[in-house]
Amino acid sequence: MVSIRKPNPGPLRYSAATLARKGLSGDDWPRVWRDHDLKKTYDVIIIGGGVHGLATAYYLATNHGITNVAVLDKGYLGGGGSGRNTAIVRSNYLTPEGVAFYDRSLSLYNTMAADLNINVMFSERGHMTLAHTDSALRTMHWRAEVNKLQGIDSSVIDPQEVKKLAPSLDVTSHPRYPILGALHHPPGGIIRHDAVVWGYARGADHAGVHLHQKTEVLDILCEGGELAEGKGAGGKVTGVRTNRGDISAPIVVNCTAGWGSLISNMAGVKLPIVTHPLEAAVTEPVKVFLPAVVVSGSLHVYVSQTDRGELVFGASVDPLATYSMRGSLSFTEELAGHILELMPGISKMRLLRQWAGLCDMTPDYSPIMGFTPVEGHLTDVGWGTYGFKAGPVSGEQMAECIATQQTPKLIAPFKLSRFETGELVGEKGAAAVGH
Amino acid sequence: MLLVPCPHCGPRNQSDLRLLGEAVPRPNPNTATRKEWGDYLYLRENPADWVTETWYCRVGCRQYFTVERHQATNEFRNPPLPGDKVGNSTYTTITVGSSGSQRGANANSEEQPS
Repeated sequence: MVSIRKPNPGPLRYSAATLARKGLSGDDWPRVWRDHDLKKTYDVIIIGGGVHGLATAYYLATNHGITNVAVLDKGYLGGGGSGRNTAIVRSNYLTPEGVAFYDRSLSLYNTMAADLNINVMFSERGHMTLAHTDSALRTMHWRAEVNKLQGIDSSVIDPQEVKKLAPSLDVTSHPRYPILGALHHPPGGIIRHDAVVWGYARGADHAGVHLHQKTEVLDILCEGGELAEGKGAGGKVTGVRTNRGDISAPIVVNCTAGWGSLISNMAGVKLPIVTHPLEAAVTEPVKVFLPAVVVSGSLHVYVSQTDRGELVFGASVDPLATYSMRGSLSFTEELAGHILELMPGISKMRLLRQWAGLCDMTPDYSPIMGFTPVEGHLTDVGWGTYGFKAGPVSGEQMAECIATQQTPKLIAPFKLSRFETGELVGEKGAAAVGH
Repeated sequence: MLLVPCPHCGPRNQSDLRLLGEAVPRPNPNTATRKEWGDYLYLRENPADWVTETWYCRVGCRQYFTVERHQATNEFRNPPLPGDKVGNSTYTTITVGSSGSQRGANANSEEQPS
């Protein structure tokens, strides 16, 4: 495991002293990251300026000293899944591979504010996954045992304890889906997702990485492959074609979400991904009354209250595979029904807005990370509905993968070839709705 | 919510049907290699473009049918007609919602491409 060195603090360190100095002098704050001209050549090109791409660039620069790196994004940094998720982090997964991986991510989130010198507003408030049926309760016990074996704080609690942790929940036997118990995971919590993106962008920029926004990758240039234009298995990557010109690079990393399969297709690599939208919604702000993150698999809903007092709701992915991010009334209706089943007291609250983000769903609900049959093309895709909480560890491990040209142990189970050999990492039981 | 052109029930709400995903040909299980079988099980084109996919009319006629849908705009085209075989690509080529098309389902009237 690579140890995290202190990042280059950059030209301006955020602190109370800096704030007081700036307040007294009235000086402007500098830009958080700089714009650069597109160079003709980079050592590594990372497609996708979200938390995964930026974290990969950041750890490449700080842990491995590779700074001739470009991060390309067709929109703005953090405008995709990184800005659309419900900002929940946890590590109580079902498979040993998944638990080890997400636990490393959670420990990076824990020290992130100090590492990146930015307030990411991490609130370790506990995470409850409700069980409404006997079979769900059985899965919770299974998860708790897997978690405990790996040293993760996770246990099954009864409805009275649920009521103590979240008094607004209806734990009576009246609802259609009564609460029979819950998997309680105290280290889980919520974090400000934009600040995570900005922190990594700032750290990477200070370390010398070039961040290029509004730079769309139109094609991945390859040679020697079995398909047309040298793409496909056996070939190797030579660069990318963007709307701002061609760039050459021996390594092109796909860190996109939503468009992951389209980007890798440009290099002739087909991925077992189907893209579904996932809808979320937020209410008006009210006084804080929900101290924990509450998840219900049977009711397809998860809810947390932000520091500002808004309730953030998320659901499972829409059943339709599509690239359209339009919201739907049926989602809102179902969401409201399910939430009121859990918390009848909030029936008068108003929804402020709803939105959708794209999720690259893989057949086993685990990501596709590491090398592909095309030399120099690496993927960090297929993040389904659980990409945000894995951002830091993905960046760290992908950076190690790129720098050492070896697949690190932590991400070895998520290789692309598992779909041919049948070594799937089935995470549906813990990842489908539980966030 | 989408209106899905079922060949027997006409345009139905999406919640009345189940999408089974892209229609992919099944290789012969006795002769398929491991790679071919893995590709059949898991690999999908997933384009931001037209796909041919299989739907199941869950609460209506309970028939399976295939129809083309655009994965970025959610438009339908080439709706199947009663009697068309599932997986048959020789549908009449009328675009749903276009002028003059009285046959099939007018699925496009409510869902304009964005």
